[in-house]
Amino acid sequence: MIKFRDVLVRPDFAEDAAPILSVPQLALGEQRISIIGANGSGKSTLLKLINGLVLPDTGTVDVDGRDTAKHGTAVRRKVAFVFTDPLSQLVMPTPLEDVELSLRRTHRNRTDRRNAAMEILTGFGLAALADQSIYQLSGGERQLAALASVLAVDPDVLVLDEPSTLLDLKNTLLLRGRLASLPQQVILATHDLELALDSERTLVVDSGTVIYDGDPPAAVDYYRKLCAGIRERMP
Amino acid sequence: MRGRAHLISAYVPGRSWLHRAPLLLKFLLLAAAGITVLSLPGALPRTAVLAVVVVLHVAAGLPVRKLVTPLRAMWLFLLVVVAYRWWVDSPAGALAVVAALLTCIYAANLLTSTTETQRLLDGLVAAVSPLQRFGADPERFALTISLMLRSIPYLLGSLHDVRDAAKARGLGSSPRAIVQPVIIGAVAYARQTGDALAARGLGEKEQ
Amino acid sequence: MPKQSAHNRNLVASDVVGGSPAAGNAPRRRSWNGTDLALIGVFAALTAASIAVPPIPAGNILGVPITLQTMVVALAGLVLGAARAFAAVGLYVLLGLVGLPIFAGYQGGLGVLAMGSAGYLLSFPFAAALIGVLARPALRRVRKLTTLTTLWLFAAATAGTVLTHLCGIAGMMLNGQLAFGAALVADLPFVPGDLVKNAAAAAIAVGIHKAFPDLLRRPR
Repeated sequence: MIKFRDVLVRPDFAEDAAPILSVPQLALGEQRISIIGANGSGKSTLLKLINGLVLPDTGTVDVDGRDTAKHGTAVRRKVAFVFTDPLSQLVMPTPLEDVELSLRRTHRNRTDRRNAAMEILTGFGLAALADQSIYQLSGGERQLAALASVLAVDPDVLVLDEPSTLLDLKNTLLLRGRLASLPQQVILATHDLELALDSERTLVVDSGTVIYDGDPPAAVDYYRKLCAGIRERMP
Repeated sequence: MRGRAHLISAYVPGRSWLHRAPLLLKFLLLAAAGITVLSLPGALPRTAVLAVVVVLHVAAGLPVRKLVTPLRAMWLFLLVVVAYRWWVDSPAGALAVVAALLTCIYAANLLTSTTETQRLLDGLVAAVSPLQRFGADPERFALTISLMLRSIPYLLGSLHDVRDAAKARGLGSSPRAIVQPVIIGAVAYARQTGDALAARGLGEKEQ
Repeated sequence: MPKQSAHNRNLVASDVVGGSPAAGNAPRRRSWNGTDLALIGVFAALTAASIAVPPIPAGNILGVPITLQTMVVALAGLVLGAARAFAAVGLYVLLGLVGLPIFAGYQGGLGVLAMGSAGYLLSFPFAAALIGVLARPALRRVRKLTTLTTLWLFAAATAGTVLTHLCGIAGMMLNGQLAFGAALVADLPFVPGDLVKNAAAAAIAVGIHKAFPDLLRRPR
């Protein structure tokens, strides 16, 4: 269970400016949660608060009772984060080495680690690409490799920031199928309303606040109307 | 940690007994060679030890070129040493100093040429492990080594690009113009890597 | 991207827990996080990569070609601060001694300890740390970097150069059985180039701290 209490995040070096995000009260317990909202609405900040990549200026965020400010390391072990661009996620030059990096803590023995990494890559259909340079992979393959590496640390919660933005339809469908089969709690921000509908609960974020929170179809509908309304108001 | 170690390596593949010998044994032999040659006075015995090391080098199937490389790297220093020792001492004195230097260098080359880089690094991490009680952290040490090895090709590329760009702008370019973009890129690259590690909960000390 | 820097600041602040006994003045220094390890690894790699760059024929008055190595050592101290600079350059020296051919002329292995360059190489981590310590006061207020800052950083880097050259001379005296005078003669030709490099390093470091104002920031 993830809990936000009186959370305020202000922009850096501008303590008096309007907050980037304000979340007075929020509890996220569902297995599949999606977050939608315009660019710059505060979606990413909301996600980063969950694993302590961003800390609130006031208020607290805790994951299973652990405060992200006090137990950042422990929280990041539980909550893994998937970036939009897999190239910023992959640390090592090949998928195999990258998964091995994730397995370092759990598999001390080199051969065990190698075997476990191959097993994980095989599960993602990436066995043939294990030793390829990550730069030679297609966008979809890269996103899968990044997902494989992140899941290899065996997190309880997976947070994804617009995971389908760089993917074509085929790869998006592949990703959706993969996400649906995960045992982890999944929280993702997306512009892809189809992907948003794959959840039990959807939050709509606008100008740094959660303005709708509920059933995915109703939330998507609300968001559509919100965007249309904004467009009508513009000349 | 596996990584690009093989890209930057002095290893010469082979199947000689030196290639197969355990790392610790090779290390002890290296230490023995150094201590022997430095404790023996006089040009003749030292040259004899040097000859043994050279024979081992050839016996391990290593190319003769590997004996010349260090000479090329330090010829100026050797020249100064020979001239100076010859002048204050004698030709034999000069030979004694040079023989000792070359023995140490060639013996160390034997170790690095017959051991895969990855084994050397594993040995290093293993050597650090007993220091755990003093706060050393072999896991994060090994992680930092892999981060270093994976960064070398990237940085070589970026140094190359920036040099070309500076050349294109003409000879007037200062070292600053060449190096500053590389360093900015390197810091940004390190931060991105740090974020990627944090996203997986890696690299932080156990609490 | 204001958000990114906010995150970096906060990430640093979140890691006050769990000190490590490594170098540092504070009684319980925060332990290094992933970004610190990445900076250490990248600067160690930079030191290694710098040997592959052929000397730059700099358009300076002295006409001394510039090799990048000592400049990178100075930059590590000026950019990372003493502890991380020591770790970065120390890692480079350690891996070179273990056998990676990452020393000048693609040398590597323990044999380097017998060479004329031994003193210089072994001094690098300490020079980087010294430079980091001396540079620190000038970088306390990163928002106000002036010409004075650049001069200060140059002076700090030059203190490191003095240390390096003293160790280098000692190394040549020991390994080559040279007298001080002879070693000094072998050393002196490199001094002007190092001074030029220090000036460049100081200017570059100021630029880096402007681009990344939170590089040296410590948790509150």
